[in-house]
Amino acid sequence: MSITLDQITKRYAGIPVVNDVSLDIGDGEFFVLLGPSGSGKSTLLRAVAGLSTVDHGRIALHGRDVTHVAARKRGVGLVFQNYALFRHMTVAENIEFALRVRRVRARARRQRRQELLRLVALDGLDDRLPAQLSGGQQQRVAVARALAHKPEVLLLDEPFGALDAKIREELRRTIRQVQRELGITTVLVTHDQEEAFALADRIGIMNLGRLLEVGAPHELYSRPTTRFVATFLGAANLFLARRTPEGVQVGATIMAAAEHSPAAPEHEVVAVVRPEEVELAASREALGSRYLGRGVVDEVMFTGALERLRVRLADSTPASLLAFADGEANTALQVTRTRPAHRGVEVRAGQEVAIGVRRVHVLPTPLSSFTACAATALLAEALRGQPLLAQLVARMRTRVAVRLEPQLGVPDAPCATQAAFVGTTVIGSQSECAQRAEWLLRRGAKDLLVLPAHAVAPQRVLIHWMGDAARSATLAVSASVLRHVPAEAVYVGIFPDDPEGTRAPQGMRTLLDARSEAQAAHGLEMRTELRFGEVAEQLARRLAEAPAQMLIIGVSGLARFGERFRALLDGGQWPVLIVQRGPP
Amino acid sequence: MSLRKPSVLPGFGLTFGFTTFFLSAIVLLPLAALVLAAASMHWADFVRVISSPRALGSYRLSFGASLLAASINLVFGLIIAWTLVRYEFPGRKLIDALIDMPFALPTAVSGIALTTVFAPNGWIGRYLEPLGVKVAYTWLGVTLALTLISMPFAVRAVQPALLEVQRELEEAAETLGAGRFYVFRRIILPTVLPALLTGFTLSFARAVGEYGSVIFIAGNLPMKTEITPLLIVIHLEEFDYQGAAALGVVMLTISFGVLLAINLLQGWGRRRHVQAAH
Repeated sequence: MSITLDQITKRYAGIPVVNDVSLDIGDGEFFVLLGPSGSGKSTLLRAVAGLSTVDHGRIALHGRDVTHVAARKRGVGLVFQNYALFRHMTVAENIEFALRVRRVRARARRQRRQELLRLVALDGLDDRLPAQLSGGQQQRVAVARALAHKPEVLLLDEPFGALDAKIREELRRTIRQVQRELGITTVLVTHDQEEAFALADRIGIMNLGRLLEVGAPHELYSRPTTRFVATFLGAANLFLARRTPEGVQVGATIMAAAEHSPAAPEHEVVAVVRPEEVELAASREALGSRYLGRGVVDEVMFTGALERLRVRLADSTPASLLAFADGEANTALQVTRTRPAHRGVEVRAGQEVAIGVRRVHVLPTPLSSFTACAATALLAEALRGQPLLAQLVARMRTRVAVRLEPQLGVPDAPCATQAAFVGTTVIGSQSECAQRAEWLLRRGAKDLLVLPAHAVAPQRVLIHWMGDAARSATLAVSASVLRHVPAEAVYVGIFPDDPEGTRAPQGMRTLLDARSEAQAAHGLEMRTELRFGEVAEQLARRLAEAPAQMLIIGVSGLARFGERFRALLDGGQWPVLIVQRGPP
Repeated sequence: MSLRKPSVLPGFGLTFGFTTFFLSAIVLLPLAALVLAAASMHWADFVRVISSPRALGSYRLSFGASLLAASINLVFGLIIAWTLVRYEFPGRKLIDALIDMPFALPTAVSGIALTTVFAPNGWIGRYLEPLGVKVAYTWLGVTLALTLISMPFAVRAVQPALLEVQRELEEAAETLGAGRFYVFRRIILPTVLPALLTGFTLSFARAVGEYGSVIFIAGNLPMKTEITPLLIVIHLEEFDYQGAAALGVVMLTISFGVLLAINLLQGWGRRRHVQAAH
């Protein structure tokens, strides 16, 4: 491995900007770190270069641990967005800088310089000053300068950011060519997905400090596992769908999904339909793909090779389309069509069409949508506007439904609403919260979020489960939550009091198992803690230790629920997400 | 170049006229008067006044101490500016404001304050005395006073230049293998050098013309701790206006020479950096 990152964490003012990132980059690989601004990608790159320290974790370059090695001894080449050329030096002096530092002889320096100038196609510009070069040329000089000392790793921080489109493409090609020719391991940071596709052997996508997914460009595009990646990498229409034994039900239509697991019980899922997988036709019969419903064309935009359309689903279409653009509520379906398709079926704005879907991809995320549940409409609305919930909903690009249960918490009272519980049910944290929670869990709620009115975005999420039946579900839910809040994950293992210390080894093993499962199955990095005592009491004590914490707890049975969780839930100041799995 | 050519900058004639008038009225005219006053002397008298041992001694002290003070400010001004620009620490704003104090204080007050501290029975002077170091009433005291009153010039000249040194340049140099000192010498220093020279020039100019603060701490022993401005005042008190003017002309000439030299040096440096950039 050329670059190995192991659980890198970097915090600013307590908030992790790089959150438990682990990554291996192979020899000669061109790796692109992609993410929106503020996702932590540049900080991570600076950490690899040695320009910023890390709070936790280990960095190795070619097997050499460099976590505490100064930048100048790491043997990396770094290219900045704004070139960072030395303006009082000529091109030649700039390129030879690293060699001069190393006291290389003038002849060897000149030879290397000419080699590099040829490589970046700038022959003969040796004596110019940076101010006399164009932006593209300056960045070429910067690349040559970063390569002069034959670094083992080339790091590029948004190198095309300051250039215009045409030069950007030209330089992109040069960099790819240089990288191939030298076979140098390269990491490029960008927020531009087109750039990532054009350059990368593999892409790693970051958001909120976490490395969400890593993979080859086409793999990430066609089979994303998180909704962030699905929507960030190209356009995507997100639907709330149902996974049934027959397939995926989007609205009234059941479609076979690429990854089908008939064993799972029926539940709500998030389905991705790429704009190019949507087919439009005049009538249902004329469609060559599965019928989704009818819609009205809102807008047709000609963009050269492709035609982009926005189609508003008719009210009669039972499919529930989620907001897809920047969390903004939007009920229009994005469609792109190639010229042959658009010659076949001409459409105009205002026209009614039949919509078909060629391919559906189901995200494996366990958190599909939220349902605010309260005794009165007023309480439900207040709950819906709770800032933490609003933030989660916006980041997950999902929605909050409302469910009224006037008899919420009244023992033996039935549900007022006949429909099954869907997605994550949310209740406020008032008195007798434990009783309400049990009431809902006994009536079929699977995932239940108890949300105090003043709860803020957590900086730390504590994870615990009681009973193995809930383990994998708890991990999956935790991983999903942690993709949407910039918090660190801590698994708290709790064992009965242990005065002799005989249980400690067993406890450690459980912790390690939990950690490796989280990493293997969900790419979730978590810290572990071991405690002894009664579960609810230990968790309550841990939660009281610091502000801005959240608890995700898995339960596999409801025996003595109220009694055990009263201390944890009643009047608590922290959000608690209960994941119930296994026989009730 | 003909002045009649249409220029991209309008109003050249007006502004140029204004500049010339102002320079003439408040700089050149008084200077010319000074030279004229001296010119009414006999040549032999002129030479006698300006080359008397007492005058020569005063030049040595005035220009020597000023150059030394400007050099000290060059180094410490850079360090102070660096600290103020690069570090966040409690009281930074306060120290930043303190820098300008010598500007605001009447120079005589600075002189009295320094004397209080450095006189043989002063706060610091009394500890230096047994070590054989005399500050007050020696050339050391003169240098100290000149350093104090010209320090703000050096700091304020360098500060904006340091602000402009991009952190990224240093980081780039660091990843290329350069150590701290190398980065300072090859990256930071060349960037702030013009500003440093400006600071040096301003400090020097201020120090040469200083009078108020020095006379208190210098002791004013002829040949030893007598600065040229003081000598001029002594001539004036004896109603020897021509003698005073003669010494003034000498000061003017030397100061102009030094400033011109530094300016030329700066111009040369600038040309080297942005050679034919346009």
